Amino acid sequence: MTGSFETASAESTRRAGKSLARFLRPGDVVALAGDLGAGKTQLVGGVATGLGVDEPVTSPTFNLLLVHPGALPLYHFDLYRLEREAELEDLAFYETLEGDGVSVIEWGDRFPRALPADHLLVTIRRRGPEDRVFELLPSGSRSAELAREWMGALAAQGNAP
Amino acid sequence: MTVFRDMRETDLGHVLEVERVSFAAPWSESLFRDEIGRPDRRWVVAEDAGDVVGYGGVMVVGDEAHLMNLAVDADRRRGGIARALVWRLAGEAAALGAARMTLEVAESNFAAIELYRTCGFDGAGRRVGYYPETGEDAVVLWSRPIAPALRAMNAARSGEDLILAIETSCDETAASVLRGGSEALSAVIASQVDFHARFGGVVPEIASRKHTEALVAVVDEALAEAGVGLDDLHALAVTQGPGLVGALVVGLAYAKGLALARGLPLVGVNHLEGHIYAARLLEPTLQPPLIALLVSGGHTLIVHASEWGRYELLGRTLDDAAGEAFDKVAKLLGLGYPGGPAISRLAADGDPQAIPFPRAMLRSGNLDVSLSGLKTAVIQYVDAERGAGRELRLPDIAASFQAAVIEVQVAKTLRAATDHKVRSVVLAGGVAANPALREGLRVALAGHGISLSVPPMGLCTDNASMIAAAAHDRLLTGHVLGLEADSVPNMRLDG
Repeated sequence: MTGSFETASAESTRRAGKSLARFLRPGDVVALAGDLGAGKTQLVGGVATGLGVDEPVTSPTFNLLLVHPGALPLYHFDLYRLEREAELEDLAFYETLEGDGVSVIEWGDRFPRALPADHLLVTIRRRGPEDRVFELLPSGSRSAELAREWMGALAAQGNAP
Repeated sequence: MTVFRDMRETDLGHVLEVERVSFAAPWSESLFRDEIGRPDRRWVVAEDAGDVVGYGGVMVVGDEAHLMNLAVDADRRRGGIARALVWRLAGEAAALGAARMTLEVAESNFAAIELYRTCGFDGAGRRVGYYPETGEDAVVLWSRPIAPALRAMNAARSGEDLILAIETSCDETAASVLRGGSEALSAVIASQVDFHARFGGVVPEIASRKHTEALVAVVDEALAEAGVGLDDLHALAVTQGPGLVGALVVGLAYAKGLALARGLPLVGVNHLEGHIYAARLLEPTLQPPLIALLVSGGHTLIVHASEWGRYELLGRTLDDAAGEAFDKVAKLLGLGYPGGPAISRLAADGDPQAIPFPRAMLRSGNLDVSLSGLKTAVIQYVDAERGAGRELRLPDIAASFQAAVIEVQVAKTLRAATDHKVRSVVLAGGVAANPALREGLRVALAGHGISLSVPPMGLCTDNASMIAAAAHDRLLTGHVLGLEADSVPNMRLDG
C-alpha cells in the first residue's frame, strides 16, 4: 500500500519520526527523498528519539554516515555529496544495510538501484513554510507492513487523513 | 607533586593497601619483599606528600622486560601516574638491556588495556584461564621498541624533538616537520579542493584515492623543505580521527608503515585538538584555560580547555555544521564550492540587515546551536522571491544569512568565555577564514577584555603542523600508539 500524511511543523515531523521508531526492526531500510530543507534530518531525529538515542542527530552530510547507538543501532546515511554509485562501497553501505540495525538514508533516491529490494521510500514535499507532505512507497512485504503500522499509529494521533 | 623513586621495604605497608583494592588476587607482602633488590628486577613507587600513590615493577630477561605489576591508588587514577610509571619502568628496563616490554592483563580490565595501548602496546595473544581465582583470560601485550620512544620523549622535554606529522582526515593531504612543538620547518599541503569543486563537496572515494596518490610526494616534500631525513626524526604523528574513514585510514596506514620500518614512535592526534593547537603555533605563550570555537564543514563546537589535553564540550550544532550551512546555501544560490568564501565575498557588498533571517537558539539558555532552520528560511525566502518574479539580490541574501550565522556563534562563544571566566578565546577551523566572523568575535570579546587568537589561514584550515604541535604535548605525557591502533571516524574531544 502507499499512503501519505502531513505535518505542520518541524516538531510534528519529529513526532512522526518518533512513532515510526517503535515499528522498526533490525535490517529495515528507510530511504528519504526531498529537497534541501524538506525536513529529512528532522524526521530522522524523531526516529532516533523513539529508539532511545540520547545524543543530537546532526546532519551526516560531511561524514556521510553517522552511527547512533540506541535500542537498535541507527545508521544515518546522507548521500547528498555522492556522485557515483560505486562510492557507496567506500561507506560499507551494503554491509551496513544488512546489519543489526536500522538504516535511514537521506537523499536515498539518489541511487535507486543501490537500495535493497524491500525498502520504504518516504518522499517529503514542502507545501508551505512549515507544512510538509510525506508520501510512503513500500517496495516489498516488510516495508508494506512497516508503512501500514506507521500510518495506523499516525492516524491514531491525528496526523493522517 | 608526585616523585618517582625506587621501592623500599618500608614502602610495603602503603603498597599493600593499594594492591589489595586494585586486584582480585593481590600479591602478598612476602612476594613483594622477595622482589625488591633482585638484580634483574626494578620496582618503582610514585610518592606524593609522603604517601605511596602508585607503584610498578619489571623483570628483565635478555632484551625483554616483563611488566609484572602496576597499580595506582583508587582516588589518584586518571591523573597520569600510571602512564608515568610505565615510562619510568621502561627507562629502567632499557638501562638493563631491554628492547621491549610485555605484560599480561585481565581482559576485563579495560582501563589498564587502554593505558597500555596508548603507551604503544599491541596484542599478542591470550592466556586462557590465566587467573585461577577468577578463571578469567589474560590478554598478552607487547610494547613497540622502548628506546626510540624514550628518546623522543626526552627530546620533547628539552624542546628539540623533530616530529613528522601527517594529516588526511578530509580533503587535504598534508605533512609537516615541527621542531620543539612550535617551530615549523616545513608545511606541505596538496589541496584537493580542485577535485572536489567539480562535485560540490568532499567526495570520499576521491578523497581516499587522492590521499593515496599524493601522500608519498607530500611527505618527501615536507622532509626536503625541512632539510631533514627520516633518520633525524624523533617521532611520527598522524591524525587518528575524527574524519572520513576512507581518508583517515590512508594516513594512518602510511604512518604505521613508516613507524614500523624506521622503529619510530607513532603519536595519534585528535584532529579537533589539532585545530586548537594551531593557535599555539601562532602564539607560543597561549595558555589554557581557554574557550575554542571550532567551525568547519563537519564541525561546530564550543570547547573549554582547562589545560592542554583536557577538554569539555560545552556546545555543538544540533543539526548542520556551520561550514555545511555555508556550502548548502551557496549551492542553493548557484555559487561555487567551497561555499564559505563565495558567500563571504558576496556578503561584503550586501546589507546584513536586508532580510531578517532567524537567529535560532540565540536565547536557548545553553551553548548549542542549530543551523538547519536558517537554511530552510533561506530556501523559503528564495522560493518566495522567485515565485513573485523578483530578481534575487544575492549580496543581500549572502550578507543577511552570514549575519544570522555569526550573531549566534559570537553570542554563544562570548557566553562560554564569560561563564568560564577565561581570558583567551581561540577561533579555529575552516570557517575561521570568514572575515566577518573574525571581526564580530574580536569586537565582542574585546568589550569584556578577552583576547581572541585566530591562526593565520594556512593554520586554520586542515594542516599537519597543528597535528605535530599537539603530538609534541602527547609525547610529553607519554601517549604513543601501537601498530594495531585504528582510525576513529567519530573520535571525541572529551573522551
